[in-house]
Amino acid sequence: MRVTNSARRGLWFVVAATATAVLNVPIILMVLNSFQTTEQMIATGSLVPEVYTVENFVFLWSKTPFLTYLKNSMVTSLGSTLFSLTGAVLAGYALSRFRNGLLSAYATTLFAVQMFPIILALIPLFLLFRPLGLIDHPLSVIIVYSVVNLPFVTWMTRSYFDSIPIELEEAARIDGCSHIGAFLRIVLPLSGPGIAAASIFAFLLAYNEYFIANVFLRSTESLTLPVGIRLFMQQFETDWGSLMAAATLATLPTLVMFLFVQRFITHGTIAGGVKG
Amino acid sequence: MTSGVDRLSERTASRRSRVGWWARPDFAVPAVLLAPSIVLLLVVIALPMVQAIQYSMTDGSLLKPGDFIGFDNYIELAKSRAFWNSLRFSLIFAVGNIVGCYVLGLGLALLLQQDFPFRGVIRVLLLLPWIVPSLVAVASWRFMLDDRDAFFNQLIMMFGGDPIYFLTHNDWTIAVVVVIKIWRSFPFMMLSLLAALQSIDRSLYEAAEVDGATKWQAFWYITMPQIANISIVLCLLMTIWTVNDFDTPWLLSQGGPAQATENLVVLAYRFTFAKNDVGAGSAISLTTLIILMAIFLVILRLRKT
Repeated sequence: MRVTNSARRGLWFVVAATATAVLNVPIILMVLNSFQTTEQMIATGSLVPEVYTVENFVFLWSKTPFLTYLKNSMVTSLGSTLFSLTGAVLAGYALSRFRNGLLSAYATTLFAVQMFPIILALIPLFLLFRPLGLIDHPLSVIIVYSVVNLPFVTWMTRSYFDSIPIELEEAARIDGCSHIGAFLRIVLPLSGPGIAAASIFAFLLAYNEYFIANVFLRSTESLTLPVGIRLFMQQFETDWGSLMAAATLATLPTLVMFLFVQRFITHGTIAGGVKG
Repeated sequence: MTSGVDRLSERTASRRSRVGWWARPDFAVPAVLLAPSIVLLLVVIALPMVQAIQYSMTDGSLLKPGDFIGFDNYIELAKSRAFWNSLRFSLIFAVGNIVGCYVLGLGLALLLQQDFPFRGVIRVLLLLPWIVPSLVAVASWRFMLDDRDAFFNQLIMMFGGDPIYFLTHNDWTIAVVVVIKIWRSFPFMMLSLLAALQSIDRSLYEAAEVDGATKWQAFWYITMPQIANISIVLCLLMTIWTVNDFDTPWLLSQGGPAQATENLVVLAYRFTFAKNDVGAGSAISLTTLIILMAIFLVILRLRKT
């Protein structure tokens, strides 16, 4: 019995590991080929480098605006995280602790925003931002990201607040604290991990975003990583080595952040996005 | 949670008789808390939406506002081949992706329910396609199928086939866009279905086993009915997200070759920012919104049951 059981475990492991490897082939090939130059690829025709080199990364660093893109990505992602977190923490607390018509209408609106075709807002916003000098300015992207990420971040903070017992606030209120006071002094300090996770997700979503940045950011100095690397795909049509290196580098921060917060994901997305 | 809310409002109930409904803490406090978010939503979603309705009835460009022309943009749209073509592709894109990512997602979710070593690690690794930036996802796929020496053609030639030029052939490009979209979507399906599977009452399976049901019968008569509702909601959500997807078709081939992979969003983008026709672009976007709203209302209905 024991033997068959461990054999079955082994078999399932082999199946799962194979499926995982096959499904990750695009990512594996990308990382591998960031370590061989385009010349090498053409010469050997091999998809696995015969000689590993960091030449692509050196080229990115010294000959392309990769660092400018990285800096822009950081500015827009941090800025929008700040905005959406502020909105989401307050709204998430309201959704967690109160019930009334306004809140349920707001919850439905938020759910609808997740499905809104953002192109519809981008056209008028483009015409609004241009006379204000916001095209090519990080603020345009920051404002739009804050709203696009608001639903997700709000569900996440809300579900975290749900896990904090309300008795703590009641005790504070009996001691003469106001609603807001109880929130600021009791709930907020206890929510560190939840808010940290929500911030990282907000950052990640903004950092990965392409479409909105592509509409508002046009000059080389203002581009974020996805839009900047896209330019690579056109300019150096066949320079796959540099492209794979840029894509690999750009993915690193995403990966690291994701590993930190992946255990929060069942809370936030699934519980919030689907069950409401 | 609900009991806590009741307790909080009980405490405030005594003050109820003296002040107006809007000044009561159980309305005023959440209203104040929601204010920043509502302002953001008004500025970035609501007001532009109203403006877009207005633009869709003018013939303006990005450089100068146009004149009111009523429903002409919509009439032009209904007559144009590009619009029906993009509607057709949006449909193929959505249906292909939903079938693909549901089957793959459910299969992997069932797999992750089995007991095996390193299950947690495998679960995280299976989420990678979902969390890499869209640009990285598409770039890595393009690398695999861009020319005759790329990964897929090396595979094909290894088995004695002729190389395929995936990105110059309409039908192949459509197939590739759908496959990439499935690849980017299955982890979400997998994770959501895994959560649904884990919430099924174990005793149902024990009862079935006592009654002598096979594994297949248990899956078909217990698992599927139990996850039917959430599956429908997930598929509708995914439909909306697929219709809204700009990144996959645009980054792969800019909607090409010959507009074969141009969905409604890419079409609206091209009309507005390449052809400088704000009126038509807005009209296409609004049409998209109306289609999505119909699906959204179905989701809201289903969530209540």
